[in-house]
Amino acid sequence: MLRIRGGKVYDPKNGVDGVVKDVCISGGNVVTDVDGGRVIDGTGLVVFPGGVDVHTHVAGAALNFARGLIPEQHRNAHPIVRDHIRRAGIVGATPTTFATGYVYAGMGWTTVNEAAVPVLSAKHTHEELRDTPMVDKTCCVLMANNEILLDLIEAGDHERVKHVLAWHVWAAKAYGVKAVNPGGVEAWKFGGDAKKLLEPVPGYKTLTPADIVSGMARACDELRLPHAVHLHCNNLGAPGNVSTTLDTMKALEGHRAHMAHLQYHAYGGDDWLTFRSESAKIAEAFNASPNLTCDAGAVLFGTTVTITADGPWQHLLYQLTGKKWGNLDVENETGCGVVPYVYKEKNIVNAVQWAVGLELLLLIDDPWRVSLTTDHPNGAPFWRYPEILHLLMNADFRKEQIARLPEKARSRIILDQLTREYTLGEVAVISSAGPARALGLEHKGHLGVGADADVAVYHAEKDVTKMFSHPRYVIKGGEVVVEEGELRQVVEGSVTAVKPAYDPEVEEFLRQLFQQYYTMSFDNYPVTPDRVHGLQVNELN
Amino acid sequence: MKNRADLIIYWGGNPAECHPRHFTKYTIMQKGRFIPNGRKGRTMVLVDIRETPSAKAADVFLQVRPGKDFEVLTALRAVVKGQRVDAAAVADTGLSLDQLTDLANRMKACRFGVLFFGMGLSMTRGKHMNSAAALTLAAELNAFTKFVAMPMRGHGNVTGADVIMRYTTAFPFGVNLSRGYPRFNPGEFSTIDLLVRGDNDATLVLGADPGATMPQPAIRHLSQTPTIVLDPKVTHTSRLAKVHITTAATGITAPGTVYRMDEIPLPLKPPLVGPYPTDEDVMRRIREAAERKAHIAA
Repeated sequence: MLRIRGGKVYDPKNGVDGVVKDVCISGGNVVTDVDGGRVIDGTGLVVFPGGVDVHTHVAGAALNFARGLIPEQHRNAHPIVRDHIRRAGIVGATPTTFATGYVYAGMGWTTVNEAAVPVLSAKHTHEELRDTPMVDKTCCVLMANNEILLDLIEAGDHERVKHVLAWHVWAAKAYGVKAVNPGGVEAWKFGGDAKKLLEPVPGYKTLTPADIVSGMARACDELRLPHAVHLHCNNLGAPGNVSTTLDTMKALEGHRAHMAHLQYHAYGGDDWLTFRSESAKIAEAFNASPNLTCDAGAVLFGTTVTITADGPWQHLLYQLTGKKWGNLDVENETGCGVVPYVYKEKNIVNAVQWAVGLELLLLIDDPWRVSLTTDHPNGAPFWRYPEILHLLMNADFRKEQIARLPEKARSRIILDQLTREYTLGEVAVISSAGPARALGLEHKGHLGVGADADVAVYHAEKDVTKMFSHPRYVIKGGEVVVEEGELRQVVEGSVTAVKPAYDPEVEEFLRQLFQQYYTMSFDNYPVTPDRVHGLQVNELN
Repeated sequence: MKNRADLIIYWGGNPAECHPRHFTKYTIMQKGRFIPNGRKGRTMVLVDIRETPSAKAADVFLQVRPGKDFEVLTALRAVVKGQRVDAAAVADTGLSLDQLTDLANRMKACRFGVLFFGMGLSMTRGKHMNSAAALTLAAELNAFTKFVAMPMRGHGNVTGADVIMRYTTAFPFGVNLSRGYPRFNPGEFSTIDLLVRGDNDATLVLGADPGATMPQPAIRHLSQTPTIVLDPKVTHTSRLAKVHITTAATGITAPGTVYRMDEIPLPLKPPLVGPYPTDEDVMRRIREAAERKAHIAA
């Protein structure tokens, strides 16, 4: 039993905005009152529900491939020295599994959604998640370039699309469905891409990316998945991609969707020389579409590594940077590319990207629909989130940073015109309550009775970066894991998977195609429940 | 590969003998979604220093002079890019400029090319420079068509070890934890170098047989210091070790997970029951015993 006494509580879901009150915890949940037990003096402290990351890459074959590609970055990264509770590790742009848990919790974040899992290597993703302590986990299975699914969408067999999707969600022990560059990754397997939303995907007669987007969004809605289709739009990162993104919003036809790392999809200009921000257009359309949620995918200057299932984009980035490049094609379902990258303040394109992330966070008027992310590690590693909060909460600080950008970049952004400053209540929304709602995780992101007892207690100070980097206390599942800014104990997290209902006949349909086109036995394809550590199943009817 | 690859190149490897299922399960013999005719729809090239049994399966066999792979790869990169290459310099590698031009043309003209490289490339003169040249060649070919490269790994679950080392320590091999955190320096911390220099004072060997494959000074060090071997059978290393513990054979009498060369994990279901404990069980018991001992000492 635990009582956090007299802290200033921010619990937006329950309409609590900076009210001094007690938070009581018993048996891993928030309760109305406790009699006895430990008391933490919260006087002068700020109490938040634990952070929820709606889109991050913390486990899986692609990330692990990236780890292998950047030993020179690890050498300069922060090491974690083994002690009586912690295992050794490396932080940096691609933290090792144990380090990932320590660093997220050390920052007050207690739930993460791994955004990209191919079924073929889902067993591996779950192996890594098992070794990622301190946080509760969910993941999204990659489907928008799955050849079996694409054939069904092209044939207009929507009923079966639904069953195939449902089968794969459960097979991967996933929570949601991810679409990455719909059709584009499939085309990349012969070196192509799918940049135009309404033109057929190379290799298909009629199937367009728009068909894939709408087909999947509709199926996710009809299956009543708690999280909408998690959508990485076509044409990521390219100058002028604003039109593709707007077309995608239209193609959804009112179905729910979570638009991932929207920053990378809000650019104007005809080429790299005329590259500019189009965040205003995107935010306007987004504000008018209540069916959508998004995350920022903000960029911070510095060294990182980009990892995405968007293979063709990574090949372009390799050609642009001339740096290392890794590519993986995952049989008939997806692919991935890895390119180490440095975002430079003096680079006009990078400066615009930096501004666009912040602009979207400031222009989207409903904080419940935009979550704080960097598309870790693509825009910046997740442990730099506090720096973004600093930029959002302090317009003067933002101005100072804008003044450092090249003049050409300043003329292509609108960040200098935005005076909005985030309140602590709004920060609690974009870092916890909002992403929990977008994911449909009812026990996360709030401090109402019955919620999971994941709490972050910060010391309010002017230096926002410092405040959010070093919480005074973190409570995970009712256990005090961080005290006085130090990790005091390591706890395991759960993995929540969704089991949608599907027609068992779909298994025989898949088996035949699978045995023909894949290289492993169909029976070895799904992740068996015993391989998932701390599995909690959300069964849908 | 199975569904798309119309050009398959093996370089410095002998899949017919070392990876006997590779041809039939993954590459040349398979019919694929976009290769409906199977073997007839694919071209196989073998590059090696000698005519191994794999050459029989190949449409084109290119015999390179030993130790000249790096030169061949570099010249090939130049030919691919349309740069001028000195025919006399190429001749020194055992191949002719015409042969290289023909290979370059095939590479650029295919729809989906694969370059598999084996230890005949990665472990001979030039070592990682050879691998880097092969990977760069494949990367550069993507300016013309789709091209991928993949190493043909050694026996056992070497890929699995590599994968798990990466997510727990950030590095694939050659990791030193003596300072309490992972440091990586191949050539300094890799097993063979530690043993040859005699840096370590005890060795635990799990699922490997360094006593059969490593150079003499390394083997001597293993025999002169406490060496513990966990293996289903008595190996060369067991004979020079202080302790050999027989463990269950994974996939035969013990369950487990093995990683394919493309890092896809496969579950193993044992068909037989055996009397021996698993590697994991032995390691756990050793750790528990060590902890008990430390506790008593304290």
